[in-house]
Amino acid sequence: MSPSTLALSERILARLMPPAQAEALVGDLLEECRLRLQTGSHVSVAGWYSRQLASSVSVLLWASMRRGAWLVTVVTAVASFIAALGIQLVLGFALSPMTTSKSMRAVIMLLSFAAALAPCGYVAASIRLGAARLLAFLVFAAYCAMLASSARAPLWYDWSLLVLGPVATIAGAALSGWLRRVRL
Amino acid sequence: MPRGDFLGSLEQIVMLAVMRLGTNAYGMTVRREIEERTGREISIGAVYATLERLEAKGYVSSFTGEPTAERGGRAKRHFEIEAAGHLALNASQNALKNMSEGLSRRWKRA
Repeated sequence: MSPSTLALSERILARLMPPAQAEALVGDLLEECRLRLQTGSHVSVAGWYSRQLASSVSVLLWASMRRGAWLVTVVTAVASFIAALGIQLVLGFALSPMTTSKSMRAVIMLLSFAAALAPCGYVAASIRLGAARLLAFLVFAAYCAMLASSARAPLWYDWSLLVLGPVATIAGAALSGWLRRVRL
Repeated sequence: MPRGDFLGSLEQIVMLAVMRLGTNAYGMTVRREIEERTGREISIGAVYATLERLEAKGYVSSFTGEPTAERGGRAKRHFEIEAAGHLALNASQNALKNMSEGLSRRWKRA
Protein backbone atom coordinates (compact mmCIF):
# COMPACT_ATOMS: atom_id res chain seq x y z
CA MET A 1 0.00 0.00 0.00
CA SER A 2 1.58 3.31 -1.04
CA PRO A 3 2.00 6.08 1.57
CA SER A 4 -0.15 8.41 -0.55
CA THR A 5 -3.03 5.86 -0.59
CA LEU A 6 -2.79 5.52 3.19
CA ALA A 7 -2.64 9.30 3.68
CA LEU A 8 -5.70 9.76 1.44
CA SER A 9 -7.60 7.01 3.34
CA GLU A 10 -6.72 8.70 6.63
CA ARG A 11 -7.91 12.07 5.33
CA ILE A 12 -11.23 10.63 4.17
CA LEU A 13 -11.80 8.75 7.45
CA ALA A 14 -10.79 11.78 9.54
CA ARG A 15 -13.84 13.57 8.10
CA LEU A 16 -16.09 10.91 9.60
CA MET A 17 -14.42 10.21 12.95
CA PRO A 18 -11.90 11.85 15.32
CA PRO A 19 -8.43 12.04 13.63
CA ALA A 20 -6.77 9.85 16.30
CA GLN A 21 -9.33 7.10 15.66
CA ALA A 22 -8.88 7.44 11.89
CA GLU A 23 -5.13 7.03 12.38
CA ALA A 24 -5.66 3.87 14.48
CA LEU A 25 -8.11 2.47 11.92
CA VAL A 26 -5.67 2.97 9.01
CA GLY A 27 -2.93 1.41 11.19
CA ASP A 28 -5.19 -1.63 11.74
CA LEU A 29 -5.83 -1.94 7.99
CA LEU A 30 -2.12 -1.65 7.22
CA GLU A 31 -1.21 -4.26 9.85
CA GLU A 32 -3.77 -6.70 8.47
CA CYS A 33 -2.61 -6.03 4.89
CA ARG A 34 0.91 -7.03 5.95
CA LEU A 35 -0.46 -10.25 7.47
CA ARG A 36 -2.51 -11.03 4.36
CA LEU A 37 0.49 -10.42 2.07
CA GLN A 38 2.19 -13.46 3.65
CA THR A 39 -0.42 -15.75 2.06
CA GLY A 40 -2.05 -13.67 -0.72
CA SER A 41 -1.02 -11.66 -3.77
CA HIS A 42 -0.61 -7.87 -3.91
CA VAL A 43 -3.70 -7.61 -6.12
CA SER A 44 -5.96 -9.57 -3.77
CA VAL A 45 -4.70 -7.60 -0.74
CA ALA A 46 -5.23 -4.29 -2.56
CA GLY A 47 -8.77 -5.46 -3.41
CA TRP A 48 -9.42 -6.41 0.22
CA TYR A 49 -8.12 -3.00 1.37
CA SER A 50 -10.38 -1.15 -1.09
CA ARG A 51 -13.45 -3.18 -0.04
CA GLN A 52 -12.70 -2.59 3.64
CA LEU A 53 -12.23 1.14 3.07
CA ALA A 54 -15.41 1.48 0.99
CA SER A 55 -17.61 -0.43 3.47
CA SER A 56 -16.01 1.39 6.43
CA VAL A 57 -16.69 4.80 4.85
CA SER A 58 -20.35 3.91 4.26
CA VAL A 59 -20.80 2.62 7.83
CA LEU A 60 -19.02 5.61 9.40
CA LEU A 61 -20.90 8.06 7.17
CA TRP A 62 -24.19 6.58 8.36
CA ALA A 63 -22.97 6.69 12.00
CA SER A 64 -21.98 10.35 11.71
CA MET A 65 -25.34 11.20 10.11
CA ARG A 66 -27.12 9.46 12.99
CA ARG A 67 -25.07 11.49 15.46
CA GLY A 68 -26.48 14.56 13.75
CA ALA A 69 -23.11 16.05 12.85
CA TRP A 70 -23.98 16.26 9.16
CA LEU A 71 -27.48 17.46 9.75
CA VAL A 72 -26.28 20.47 11.78
CA THR A 73 -23.72 21.30 9.07
CA VAL A 74 -26.27 21.11 6.25
CA VAL A 75 -28.95 23.05 8.17
CA THR A 76 -26.41 25.77 9.14
CA ALA A 77 -25.19 26.12 5.55
CA VAL A 78 -28.69 26.30 4.06
CA ALA A 79 -29.88 28.77 6.74
CA SER A 80 -26.80 30.96 6.11
CA PHE A 81 -27.48 30.84 2.37
CA ILE A 82 -31.07 31.98 2.87
CA ALA A 83 -29.94 34.72 5.29
CA ALA A 84 -27.33 35.91 2.76
CA LEU A 85 -29.98 36.15 0.02
CA GLY A 86 -32.20 38.16 2.37
CA ILE A 87 -29.42 40.59 3.37
CA GLN A 88 -28.38 40.98 -0.28
CA LEU A 89 -31.94 41.81 -1.31
CA VAL A 90 -32.34 44.42 1.46
CA LEU A 91 -28.93 46.01 0.75
CA GLY A 92 -29.51 46.07 -3.00
CA PHE A 93 -32.95 47.61 -2.54
CA ALA A 94 -31.63 50.26 -0.12
CA LEU A 95 -28.51 51.20 -2.11
CA SER A 96 -29.68 51.08 -5.75
CA PRO A 97 -31.65 54.43 -5.62
CA MET A 98 -28.30 56.15 -4.91
CA THR A 99 -27.44 56.09 -8.63
CA THR A 100 -29.11 55.84 -12.03
CA SER A 101 -26.05 54.50 -13.85
CA LYS A 102 -26.40 50.83 -14.84
CA SER A 103 -22.75 49.94 -14.29
CA MET A 104 -22.73 51.68 -10.87
CA ARG A 105 -25.80 49.68 -9.91
CA ALA A 106 -24.00 46.50 -10.93
CA VAL A 107 -21.05 47.48 -8.73
CA ILE A 108 -23.41 48.19 -5.82
CA MET A 109 -25.04 44.79 -6.33
CA LEU A 110 -21.65 43.11 -6.29
CA LEU A 111 -20.60 44.91 -3.11
CA SER A 112 -23.91 44.14 -1.38
CA PHE A 113 -23.46 40.55 -2.46
CA ALA A 114 -20.02 40.39 -0.81
CA ALA A 115 -21.25 42.33 2.23
CA ALA A 116 -24.05 39.79 2.70
CA LEU A 117 -21.97 36.66 2.24
CA ALA A 118 -18.94 37.54 4.39
CA PRO A 119 -20.86 37.80 7.71
CA CYS A 120 -22.90 34.70 6.82
CA GLY A 121 -19.67 32.80 6.16
CA TYR A 122 -18.36 34.10 9.50
CA VAL A 123 -21.46 32.93 11.41
CA ALA A 124 -21.56 29.55 9.62
CA ALA A 125 -17.88 28.92 10.43
CA SER A 126 -18.45 29.90 14.08
CA ILE A 127 -21.08 27.15 14.30
CA ARG A 128 -19.26 24.60 12.16
CA LEU A 129 -16.34 25.03 9.76
CA GLY A 130 -17.83 22.48 7.36
CA ALA A 131 -20.98 24.63 7.14
CA ALA A 132 -18.97 27.59 5.78
CA ARG A 133 -17.35 25.33 3.16
CA LEU A 134 -20.75 23.96 2.17
CA LEU A 135 -22.10 27.53 2.01
CA ALA A 136 -19.28 28.54 -0.38
CA PHE A 137 -20.13 25.53 -2.53
CA LEU A 138 -23.87 26.35 -2.45
CA VAL A 139 -23.17 29.95 -3.53
CA PHE A 140 -20.91 28.77 -6.34
CA ALA A 141 -23.43 26.14 -7.51
CA ALA A 142 -26.37 28.56 -7.30
CA TYR A 143 -24.62 31.20 -9.43
CA CYS A 144 -23.40 28.58 -11.91
CA ALA A 145 -27.03 27.51 -12.34
CA MET A 146 -28.10 31.15 -12.64
CA LEU A 147 -25.46 31.88 -15.30
CA ALA A 148 -26.48 28.83 -17.27
CA SER A 149 -30.14 29.81 -17.26
CA SER A 150 -29.84 33.55 -18.18
CA ALA A 151 -27.31 35.66 -20.05
CA ARG A 152 -28.69 39.16 -19.53
CA ALA A 153 -25.91 40.63 -17.38
CA PRO A 154 -22.46 41.64 -18.74
CA LEU A 155 -19.80 38.92 -18.67
CA TRP A 156 -17.55 40.77 -16.18
CA TYR A 157 -20.48 40.98 -13.76
CA ASP A 158 -21.30 37.26 -14.06
CA TRP A 159 -17.71 36.19 -13.51
CA SER A 160 -17.25 38.62 -10.62
CA LEU A 161 -20.34 37.13 -8.94
CA LEU A 162 -19.05 33.63 -9.46
CA VAL A 163 -15.65 34.39 -7.91
CA LEU A 164 -16.69 36.98 -5.33
CA GLY A 165 -19.39 34.80 -3.72
CA PRO A 166 -17.22 31.89 -2.58
CA VAL A 167 -14.28 34.25 -1.84
CA ALA A 168 -16.40 36.47 0.44
CA THR A 169 -17.78 33.38 2.22
CA ILE A 170 -14.33 31.89 2.75
CA ALA A 171 -12.97 35.29 3.89
CA GLY A 172 -15.70 35.45 6.56
CA ALA A 173 -14.90 31.88 7.62
CA ALA A 174 -11.17 32.67 7.74
CA LEU A 175 -11.86 35.71 9.93
CA SER A 176 -13.87 33.51 12.30
CA GLY A 177 -11.01 30.98 12.50
CA TRP A 178 -8.42 33.71 13.03
CA LEU A 179 -10.45 35.35 15.83
CA ARG A 180 -10.90 31.95 17.50
CA ARG A 181 -7.13 31.37 17.45
CA VAL A 182 -6.44 34.89 18.78
CA ARG A 183 -8.90 34.36 21.67
CA LEU A 184 -7.17 31.07 22.58
CA MET B 1 -28.11 0.04 32.68
CA PRO B 2 -31.49 1.70 32.03
CA ARG B 3 -34.46 -0.67 31.84
CA GLY B 4 -35.01 -1.99 28.36
CA ASP B 5 -31.58 -0.93 27.07
CA PHE B 6 -30.46 -4.30 25.73
CA LEU B 7 -27.41 -4.64 23.55
CA GLY B 8 -27.86 -5.33 19.84
CA SER B 9 -26.45 -8.54 18.36
CA LEU B 10 -23.38 -6.84 16.84
CA GLU B 11 -22.76 -4.99 20.10
CA GLN B 12 -22.81 -8.28 22.00
CA ILE B 13 -20.50 -9.94 19.47
CA VAL B 14 -18.02 -7.05 19.62
CA MET B 15 -18.06 -7.03 23.43
CA LEU B 16 -17.52 -10.78 23.59
CA ALA B 17 -14.58 -10.43 21.17
CA VAL B 18 -13.06 -7.69 23.34
CA MET B 19 -13.54 -9.92 26.40
CA ARG B 20 -11.88 -12.89 24.67
CA LEU B 21 -8.89 -10.87 23.49
CA GLY B 22 -8.23 -9.24 26.88
CA THR B 23 -5.21 -6.94 26.76
CA ASN B 24 -4.76 -7.57 23.02
CA ALA B 25 -8.14 -6.10 22.04
CA TYR B 26 -7.76 -3.46 19.33
CA GLY B 27 -9.47 -2.82 15.99
CA MET B 28 -7.70 -5.40 13.85
CA THR B 29 -7.74 -8.25 16.40
CA VAL B 30 -11.42 -7.63 17.25
CA ARG B 31 -12.35 -7.71 13.55
CA ARG B 32 -10.37 -10.91 12.90
CA GLU B 33 -11.75 -12.60 16.03
CA ILE B 34 -15.32 -11.92 14.91
CA GLU B 35 -14.63 -13.13 11.37
CA GLU B 36 -12.91 -16.32 12.58
CA ARG B 37 -15.49 -17.25 15.21
CA THR B 38 -18.73 -16.26 13.46
CA GLY B 39 -17.76 -16.62 9.79
CA ARG B 40 -19.39 -13.23 9.34
CA GLU B 41 -17.45 -10.76 7.20
CA ILE B 42 -17.27 -7.43 8.95
CA SER B 43 -15.61 -4.13 8.05
CA ILE B 44 -13.17 -2.43 10.37
CA GLY B 45 -15.39 0.66 10.17
CA ALA B 46 -18.34 -1.30 11.58
CA VAL B 47 -16.14 -2.50 14.47
CA TYR B 48 -15.04 1.07 15.25
CA ALA B 49 -18.57 2.48 14.94
CA THR B 50 -19.88 -0.19 17.35
CA LEU B 51 -17.04 0.34 19.81
CA GLU B 52 -17.58 4.11 19.68
CA ARG B 53 -21.28 3.61 20.49
CA LEU B 54 -20.42 1.25 23.36
CA GLU B 55 -17.85 3.72 24.68
CA ALA B 56 -20.43 6.53 24.58
CA LYS B 57 -22.73 4.35 26.70
CA GLY B 58 -19.88 3.73 29.17
CA TYR B 59 -19.71 -0.03 28.44
CA VAL B 60 -16.16 -0.03 27.11
CA SER B 61 -13.19 2.29 27.52
CA SER B 62 -10.19 2.84 25.28
CA PHE B 63 -6.63 4.02 25.49
CA THR B 64 -3.96 4.76 22.88
CA GLY B 65 -0.94 2.48 22.69
CA GLU B 66 2.54 3.10 21.34
CA PRO B 67 3.06 3.65 17.58
CA THR B 68 4.65 0.62 15.88
CA ALA B 69 6.66 0.21 12.65
CA GLU B 70 4.41 -2.49 11.12
CA ARG B 71 1.53 -0.03 11.35
CA GLY B 72 3.49 2.70 9.55
CA GLY B 73 4.14 4.54 12.83
CA ARG B 74 0.45 4.60 13.77
CA ALA B 75 -0.67 3.89 17.33
CA LYS B 76 -3.11 1.14 18.34
CA ARG B 77 -6.35 1.94 20.14
CA HIS B 78 -6.91 -0.67 22.84
CA PHE B 79 -10.34 -1.44 24.28
CA GLU B 80 -11.47 -2.97 27.55
CA ILE B 81 -14.86 -3.73 29.05
CA GLU B 82 -16.09 -1.63 31.97
CA ALA B 83 -18.23 -2.88 34.88
CA ALA B 84 -21.35 -1.36 33.29
CA GLY B 85 -20.51 -3.29 30.12
CA HIS B 86 -20.39 -6.58 32.01
CA LEU B 87 -23.82 -5.81 33.51
CA ALA B 88 -25.30 -4.89 30.13
CA LEU B 89 -23.88 -8.01 28.50
CA ASN B 90 -25.21 -10.21 31.34
CA ALA B 91 -28.67 -8.64 31.08
CA SER B 92 -28.78 -9.09 27.29
CA GLN B 93 -27.55 -12.68 27.40
CA ASN B 94 -29.99 -13.53 30.23
CA ALA B 95 -32.88 -11.99 28.28
CA LEU B 96 -32.07 -14.17 25.28
CA LYS B 97 -31.64 -17.25 27.47
CA ASN B 98 -34.97 -16.64 29.21
CA MET B 99 -36.76 -16.08 25.92
CA SER B 100 -35.42 -19.28 24.37
CA GLU B 101 -35.96 -21.43 27.49
CA GLY B 102 -38.44 -24.28 26.97
CA LEU B 103 -38.48 -23.90 23.20
CA SER B 104 -36.27 -26.88 22.47
CA ARG B 105 -39.16 -28.92 21.02
CA ARG B 106 -40.51 -26.16 18.82
CA TRP B 107 -37.12 -24.84 17.75
CA LYS B 108 -36.04 -26.39 14.46
CA ARG B 109 -32.28 -26.12 14.71
CA ALA B 110 -30.12 -26.41 11.61
